[in-house]
Amino acid sequence: MIFARMLSGGMVRVVALLALIAGVAIAFTLAEPRYLSPANLSGIARHMAANGMAALGVTFVVIVRKFDLSITGVASFAGMTMGAAIAAGLGLWLAIIIGLACGALIGAVSGLAVGRFNMPDIITTIAVGSVCSGLAFLYTGGRSIFQNFFTSGIIDLNDARLLGLNLSLWLLVGIYGLAWFVMHHTRTGRAFYASGENPTAAWYSGIPVRRFVLLAYVLCAICTVLAVLLILAESGNAETNKGARLLMPAYAGVFLGAALMAGTSVLATFAGILLITMLLDGFSLLGVPYYYSDGVVSLILLLGVLAFSDRARAWLSRLPALIGLRPGKMDRPAR
Amino acid sequence: MPAPILEASNICKRYGPVIALQEVDFRVERGEIHALLGINGAGKSTFIKILSGLIQKDCGVLRIDGHRVDFRAPIDAIAAGIATVQQHPELAPDMSGLDNIFLGREHRARGLLRWIDRAALAERAARLMARFAVALDLDQRVARMSAVEREVVAILQALAGEDIKILILDEPTSTLTDVERADLFKLMRQLRRQGISIIYITHQLEEVFEIADSFSVFRNGALAARMSATEARERRLSLATLVLGEAIGGVFPDRATPPAPGETVLSLRGFTRPGAFEAVTLKARRGEVLGIFGLVGSGAEELAKAIFGAVPVADGELRLNGERLCPKNPGQALQAGIFLVPGDRRQEGLALDRSPLFNVPLANLKRASAGRWALRHRRIAADAGELTAGVDLYPPALDLAARNFSGGNQQKIVLAKGLYSKADLYIFVEPTVGVDIGARARIYALIRELGARAAVIVVSSDCDEVHGVADRALAMHKGRQVTPGADGFSRDALLLAGLTGGADSP
Repeated sequence: MIFARMLSGGMVRVVALLALIAGVAIAFTLAEPRYLSPANLSGIARHMAANGMAALGVTFVVIVRKFDLSITGVASFAGMTMGAAIAAGLGLWLAIIIGLACGALIGAVSGLAVGRFNMPDIITTIAVGSVCSGLAFLYTGGRSIFQNFFTSGIIDLNDARLLGLNLSLWLLVGIYGLAWFVMHHTRTGRAFYASGENPTAAWYSGIPVRRFVLLAYVLCAICTVLAVLLILAESGNAETNKGARLLMPAYAGVFLGAALMAGTSVLATFAGILLITMLLDGFSLLGVPYYYSDGVVSLILLLGVLAFSDRARAWLSRLPALIGLRPGKMDRPAR
Repeated sequence: MPAPILEASNICKRYGPVIALQEVDFRVERGEIHALLGINGAGKSTFIKILSGLIQKDCGVLRIDGHRVDFRAPIDAIAAGIATVQQHPELAPDMSGLDNIFLGREHRARGLLRWIDRAALAERAARLMARFAVALDLDQRVARMSAVEREVVAILQALAGEDIKILILDEPTSTLTDVERADLFKLMRQLRRQGISIIYITHQLEEVFEIADSFSVFRNGALAARMSATEARERRLSLATLVLGEAIGGVFPDRATPPAPGETVLSLRGFTRPGAFEAVTLKARRGEVLGIFGLVGSGAEELAKAIFGAVPVADGELRLNGERLCPKNPGQALQAGIFLVPGDRRQEGLALDRSPLFNVPLANLKRASAGRWALRHRRIAADAGELTAGVDLYPPALDLAARNFSGGNQQKIVLAKGLYSKADLYIFVEPTVGVDIGARARIYALIRELGARAAVIVVSSDCDEVHGVADRALAMHKGRQVTPGADGFSRDALLLAGLTGGADSP
């Protein structure tokens, strides 16, 4: 009885997910045996940490049924700000705090515009992102920043290990754990979901919907800053294009995860970003240039979302009738 | 005798467990104006949607001019000669009336660029205007037109292209003034002379005698009656009785025990929202159900929302349990102990893709987390299970998306949500719109039960509902509060007060 229920419910999806992960791992290992080497696994872990941070941020925004396309710009500006702060000798921690504050501020601007003033989310965040991309050139006119990077300790964020695993992976797991608890086990998380499911009904239930939209954008920007921080730590310098490749994996992770796990959630995003990172990393190991691998992963995302979308499935099931292979539902004659 | 222009037999339509239409036989003769009457949820709109091809019937046969037709999409209905003008016609406001009429049918000139042939358009317009002499400047932008002019544009648009034999008008008069209505009726009579049959939905009973040749009455998804206006006039039938039916009495719970009102929970004084309601003064007491009867536009629903903080008020005083309160949003009202069961439960009441388990605790997350931050999942499940069982939710599934429940059971979920939030004052707006008759009885019983321990206000445009469920009632008419005759509480007095704004005695 219990087995039957576990198998019929979420368990099937978890098993399917594990099978998918194993399948991807096996396929890449067959093509390139180094895929499962410790060095490559560590690389996957580090890339997953950066991608996963951005994807978590996007998760909040997607839960309130909005989009935030500013994360590339936010990452660029916050990355350069943190780089400039480190170069100025402010110290790593102060630089991180400044970066997070910048992110929160930019997120608040988007959140107020979309939540309070009902501006269209996509246009608004494209504009905010573009402004940020421009501001990123303020410090050096676009030149790379690397002064003080090796002495500030930022490299340790990339290199340090704890219990045999990358520190950045622990950071990711910790933050995902916290987000999972908040989104699925607290009033705040429930209100987040309600604000996205039906804003009017949520407002009639006493939930300050606009405030949660604002909060989602702030959290998204903060997560983006953390993501770019990890990228800076890996590369050892700050450049304006550091966050340029965060957007696609983040959205792909969220939507692929939601498709796999039947709904947007913190754990679904984790599963999605794991798969996406495994794919991207595998392609780069095989020497596929990123402009092709991004395309392939995006295609996989489209197919995945399509395969799991009810409407698409309903449409596909009607296809034979539409093209005349099978007669459609006929009207029953009168008595 | 020639076949009627439109004949429908044995039409059925179900939405999941809800029967929207059953065995409807319907007919419209050539060149007659046929009114369609019935309360909300009686099946009129479902029937109209089937006739205009928006939805498909489950069974039954439609014949036009004696030929069997099957509509899969609106375009099929138009091709068969049925044109429909929606209740709020969708027109392009920045284009002229003429451009709207021929929107999407302009292409005449052949060639790669397919220029819009203005001369041909003007000629077609002239022909159209010759057929239907309307005093209307069609070169005006639609945004600048009055409500009746837009209705006329929408009608001409419906008639413009094809050979239309039947025109369906969905509540065309609801937003019109008396003068505008006369203009519209003039056009309708003109169409009738051209041999076009008109099916016309209305809630205004006197209009039927004025314009219609015959009418059909829908009640609970079935055709309750069809007769000519003359016959109804001769038999002195009250259309109100026809529409509401006599059978409905059975669904209301007994009020065997006389109400024992306790302390005043809500008192309003001079409550005013300009354009919606004015100077409303009333009291709601614990242990009684106060009914407010008001048609659409009477301000009754706005009043309910204003008490709940969902719309602002300009003036007046609201006291809850003796203390002054001016809720700026529903959150503050809930905090103070007011719960609104909204009229549009799909929009305002439920997260439709979520389960009862998600929806029930939503208006009182403080209770769901026992005053802390973390949710008490087990306690929520226990409470939700108990409350949904208490309202007889069917199917009794806590993890099924609200969308999959029938209208009545969706309303029960909202009710369980209200009970979970433990309010002192419950306001129900149109509590049984779209609710089937069985669930209605249960919801009325629940309202009465709730009325025994909290203050309850029921706002409805259904007079019988207010009369059947309330201990005391007043009516709203054009934003003004009307207290029906002082001698007790009669249905007819309430109906009169709500329809005309007059009361028997001061």
